[in-house]
Amino acid sequence: MQSHAAMTKTGGRLSREDQRRLGDILQRVYDDVVRQGVPDRFRNLLDELDDQKKGGEKPASPGSAQARESKPDELMEARGFGQGAKSFPQDKGSSS
Amino acid sequence: MTMRPSVRDAMLAAVPSLRAFAISLCGNVDRADDLVQETLLRAMANIDSFQPGTNMSAWLFTILRNLFRSEYRKRRREVEDTDGSYAESLKSHPEQHSRVEFQEFRVALAKLPADQREALILVGASGFSYEEAAAICACAVGTIKSRVNRARTRLAELLSIDSADDFGPDHTTRAILSAGGRG
Repeated sequence: MQSHAAMTKTGGRLSREDQRRLGDILQRVYDDVVRQGVPDRFRNLLDELDDQKKGGEKPASPGSAQARESKPDELMEARGFGQGAKSFPQDKGSSS
Repeated sequence: MTMRPSVRDAMLAAVPSLRAFAISLCGNVDRADDLVQETLLRAMANIDSFQPGTNMSAWLFTILRNLFRSEYRKRRREVEDTDGSYAESLKSHPEQHSRVEFQEFRVALAKLPADQREALILVGASGFSYEEAAAICACAVGTIKSRVNRARTRLAELLSIDSADDFGPDHTTRAILSAGGRG
């Protein structure tokens, strides 16, 4: 079995074992946040937005989510999601 | 128009993972939560463009990722507060060993190029397929695969090099990497 020192010195591909260990730490770091669940802040926000929708186009309460404009959104490249990645504009700088 | 309960529930269900993704991306819990909030607002405002039956979680990840990218471009010159807020977010973690280990890992993660980091997290932690990750990042599947590979290799290097001053590369790489097996 290849030693870790050799693995890092050569800069070559990681062994399966090292990939597994790295993946395991990554997963645990990530899950550490996931386990925190849904902060009230977001539950309240979604409830508020839900109420707004149900109430039609009524103005929302002050300081709430409503202030954001609803103009056509250039960030909604997700529009075509589920229909394949081909429809997405190419992200520059992806060649690193 | 009433938001169907399933949409709201699907968004709620995605929040924990969205937060984990956001924190991994920007290295700052407060910014990450703002990012999640903005993502939910955008998603709600544009819910009509969501196609029922497709993956709500992936859709939200796409929005969040795009928001982060556009914000990141604006803030490129700012110094990231990686250590401080990560430590803050982990303060309550019961296991001291894990806390230190996590912190070390997060610092290394933060040093990866953004596109490698997001690819690794999407595939390695969020549970998306290479195809889904490619859709979220608006790139080819092969690009995702090579980013993930480079991210892993670079992480392994960082985790050994960073501690080399203290223990030497062989010892520390082994220590950090093997800690993963014991939970």
